[in-house]
Amino acid sequence: MREEIGRVFSLYFFLGKKSGRARTFFLLSSAAVLMALIIRTYRLAGHWTEDGQVVFQNFLMVFFLQFLIVLLGLFYGSSIVVEELDNRTLPYLTSRPVRRAAIILGKYLAYLSLATVMLVFAVLVSYLILNLDSEFRWKDLLTVLRYSVILWLGLAAYLSFFSFLGTWLKKPILVGLAFGFGWESVIQYFPGTTQKLSVAHYLKSLLPQYASSSGKLGFLFIRLEPTSPSVAVIVLAAIILVFLALACLIFTYKEYLFED
Amino acid sequence: MTAVIEARNLSRWYGNVLGISEITLDIEPGITALLGPNGAGKSTFMKIMTGQLKANIGQVRIFGQPVWNNRHIFRRIGFCPESDAFYEELNGLEFLTGLLSLYGYDREECLTRANRALELVELRDVRERPIRSYSRGMRQRIKIAQTIAHDPEVLILDEPLSGLDPLGKRRIIRLIKEFRDAGKTVVVSSHVLPEVEALTSEIVLIHNGKILARGDIHFIRELLDSHPHMIRIKSPQYRELARLMAAEDYVLNITFEPEAQAVVFETHHRDRFFNRLNELVLDPGLDLEEITSPDDNLQAVFDYLVER
Repeated sequence: MREEIGRVFSLYFFLGKKSGRARTFFLLSSAAVLMALIIRTYRLAGHWTEDGQVVFQNFLMVFFLQFLIVLLGLFYGSSIVVEELDNRTLPYLTSRPVRRAAIILGKYLAYLSLATVMLVFAVLVSYLILNLDSEFRWKDLLTVLRYSVILWLGLAAYLSFFSFLGTWLKKPILVGLAFGFGWESVIQYFPGTTQKLSVAHYLKSLLPQYASSSGKLGFLFIRLEPTSPSVAVIVLAAIILVFLALACLIFTYKEYLFED
Repeated sequence: MTAVIEARNLSRWYGNVLGISEITLDIEPGITALLGPNGAGKSTFMKIMTGQLKANIGQVRIFGQPVWNNRHIFRRIGFCPESDAFYEELNGLEFLTGLLSLYGYDREECLTRANRALELVELRDVRERPIRSYSRGMRQRIKIAQTIAHDPEVLILDEPLSGLDPLGKRRIIRLIKEFRDAGKTVVVSSHVLPEVEALTSEIVLIHNGKILARGDIHFIRELLDSHPHMIRIKSPQYRELARLMAAEDYVLNITFEPEAQAVVFETHHRDRFFNRLNELVLDPGLDLEEITSPDDNLQAVFDYLVER
């Protein structure tokens, strides 16, 4: 099975690199770098006095955590089968000697790798733009690493959930948009246990200094009743595994018909 | 000879629409053509044979093994789908090596096999051009290349000649015959009788999801020749033409179209009809502007066979 996943991964990582979609998402991720440059320019001009770390954390919350990883997960995940149906290329895959589950897992890992490259690039470069000054210490990069791991977990969880939708539904993008930017954006601000029904809740619970976040965008942290970091990691891992398993199961037994 | 493909009571519906119904068929090595009009059920049958679809009832076996979700059998099958679909951003070589890598071949082996397949379909010179820049004929040939690149024992080709120019058709027909000569089992679908005739004498007629007849080309030809053909002739002397043709016993019916200056004949014997028509063009020298066959398509022939 591992070998079959590897074969599909290689093909789709290569295809993914060559696709126009990868270029679009790379440009979109680079928007974070552009925003960081604008903020840095404002700070140099003395219009923005907050500490670079605080700006970055708020920036990270809004752009990366609540927008970019959801968007990357949504578009890569929901297209996992639909792109093959729309382009009518599915028979090229399903008439090869690989398990159907390996097709889903291979594509999932290929898309996760591509999205990770885009994400890490944007996080690292924007962090450096905001914080690289005379007080910068190399060990600050550990903070970037921590942020990156949290965002990667979020990306993997969203990608897994949206891959499940992609194997199950004919038009997964609408449901995905409603979940990613509707449910996830609203439910995390509900008090009590309701907020635990969002992926974003567990990601926020892992962020350092969430409670003391003080910047202009600190309101985003209100009402967070954090789950302990270890439980948050376990829940995120469970989301990834459960929805991936469901996606594989559906793809193995479901028939996919072209529109006509 | 032992059947390589065995279909037993295969039925498949799409909601309320019938795809195929109770198809039982044994296919042996050599070329077998599935002939039928569009929507007859050929593609559905092929998709079930290649594990793209499940049958609602019945089963298909290749080399004695069920096909659905059986990845081991796919090593022995090559499938050329009907749709003109590709990973457009790839070039021909990347497309083939990418698909070959799914068989577990190493990079070297993928390249060797891909180049061999490209050579066979005469696309080696354009292997580094993006597929999106290929002509229709080249796209059809690269599709065939991905079917044969892993050297399968069974080839299932859904409308492989569609959209090709005469030269392209000749190339593909020659290639398919080479597979037959190599002892492979080839199943080809088409809705064009002359194409099928050029490929094989073993024909399965499919219509409305059912096998209407199976036999060699002569048997099918006899069936088709008994179908009354419609021939429409446009001529300024259409009334004179009708008068002369009315005397022939093989002309069953004559209809006039005065506005178009045309006449439509119905005949059981196309060959005799056209021989006589040739005589009339020479003497008394009738002037013919256009000859068409309003029902000269497989659908009309099949409708006739079903009604019979």
